[in-house]
Amino acid sequence: MGEPSVPPVPDAPSTPTPTPTPTPSASTARGAGRVLVAVYAVFAVAAASRASVQLATRFHEAPLAYLLSAFSGAVYVVATVSLARSGVVARRLARAAVTTELTGVLVVGTLSVVAPDDFRHPTVWSLYGIGYGFVPLVLPVVGLWWLRRTATPR
Amino acid sequence: MHAPLVATVVTAGLLLALAGALVSLLDRTGRTADRVLLLLAGVAEAAVVVQSGVAAAGLIGGHDVRSTPTFVAYLVGNAAVLPFAFAWAWADRNRWSGAVIAIGGVTVAVMTGRLVMMWQGRA
Repeated sequence: MGEPSVPPVPDAPSTPTPTPTPTPSASTARGAGRVLVAVYAVFAVAAASRASVQLATRFHEAPLAYLLSAFSGAVYVVATVSLARSGVVARRLARAAVTTELTGVLVVGTLSVVAPDDFRHPTVWSLYGIGYGFVPLVLPVVGLWWLRRTATPR
Repeated sequence: MHAPLVATVVTAGLLLALAGALVSLLDRTGRTADRVLLLLAGVAEAAVVVQSGVAAAGLIGGHDVRSTPTFVAYLVGNAAVLPFAFAWAWADRNRWSGAVIAIGGVTVAVMTGRLVMMWQGRA
């Protein structure tokens, strides 16, 4: 039936918790959160690898686009790691990263629509992430919703 | 790219995605679900490994792609996807483990699609 009205105590976790001190919020990496972290991980690896190749092999062709690519890759990496970890600091970092990601996809998406000539070298966020099935646009919204949902003790 | 291998990888990957999604959506965790997911993932992973090996041999044999580092990264990365997906899903077993595996299945299928495009010089 209903949850007992005592403070939340981790009920004998089968896996060792990474942090010794229990946090008041539910972990962002448990339950359905594991799916979110998995999607973030795919984007982190894809964006970071792509940016590395771009910077290493043809940086001179489009420095701005490729630096933007590297920035988006870094944002995804930070978001993935912080969402996968528990704790107050990780949660704060995750919120910052996901907010940056949402801002990035909106700003770069809009700029690539109004000034297409300046954005001929595609990044993950060009045209709101059309090249990635608009997942880059949906992901931060889901991320912020999940952070909010897991913010209160359950 | 070896067409039958590509077909096997994409089919097994998408079936794995479907099975994983169903396990989570219908909340049907259990030994049967585990067996189905492991079987499909095993077929997909075996085909991915052979596919990566065959493509790497083709590359060494002189086949040209636009960006060799990207292509090689895809060959290696594609083989790493499902082991990572299972490690992440199995570390915290719950109804959403199937959906994590499903993400892995979709990723393998999409990466294989990109590999084919790169192999044909279209990307």
